[in-house]
Amino acid sequence: MQPFIIYYMLKSACMKKFNKSDLVYFDGKNGRPAYIAFEGKVYDVSASFLWRGGAHLVLHQAGRDLTEDLQHAPHGPELLSRVKQIGIL
Amino acid sequence: MAQVARQVVEKAGINVDELLKLLVKNASAELTTYYYYTILRTNLIGLQGEGIKEIAETARIEDRNHFEALVPRIYELGGKLPDDMKEFHDISACPPANLPKDKHDVMGILKVLVEAERCAVRGYTQICNMTAGKDHRTYDLALAILNEEIEHESWFSEFLGEGPSGHFLRRGETSPFVSKFLK
Repeated sequence: MQPFIIYYMLKSACMKKFNKSDLVYFDGKNGRPAYIAFEGKVYDVSASFLWRGGAHLVLHQAGRDLTEDLQHAPHGPELLSRVKQIGIL
Repeated sequence: MAQVARQVVEKAGINVDELLKLLVKNASAELTTYYYYTILRTNLIGLQGEGIKEIAETARIEDRNHFEALVPRIYELGGKLPDDMKEFHDISACPPANLPKDKHDVMGILKVLVEAERCAVRGYTQICNMTAGKDHRTYDLALAILNEEIEHESWFSEFLGEGPSGHFLRRGETSPFVSKFLK
């Protein structure tokens, strides 16, 4: 098995698993962390200026799966490479 | 407030309160960018830096023009600007365009500039998408600003050598697209 495949398997195994109801808690409000999900991956956007207060440009809220929302956004998933993946959905 | 102007936009199916929040956030981005670009411009020195100072200055002035052009539309639709300058900064639709760690790193400054313009391009694309065919005046304004933001992105991108250049520095007045909203 290729080393990078082993690396990604180990990384996935170490990732925290969330379901949609777990995710709701991480809405970025009242000091809670801001997590968002996209295509089965959960990202921590708490430190992002663009997610202050758990909302992104009025229209998007943290604590949710934004896979559908991103289809209509003026940017693609490439911007998620700037934030840390912390789990899987 | 222009009551009928707001009503027709609502009737067209737009959530005007949501649109107003977006307009205020983008106006905040323009004003804060104007400030941050002032700092970036003053640090564009030396053989490399002086070469792009003029284009950075044009983008700076045009971003201020964008702020000026957005303000009347915000009030027409029944919105208002923050009372507090700090709030302006904190609600901005784009992150602060801070100087890079090495403040005389011209390529680093260019990367800050191009990222700021890309954020603006995304923001006005979103407003155009929301308002197309529904709120003609906001659409017209957002499209005019978008045209200038795309040119700014191209200028900085081309200085970074990301691709062939199809643009030149402005000849004549600034804000060729937005100026009709400033008269």
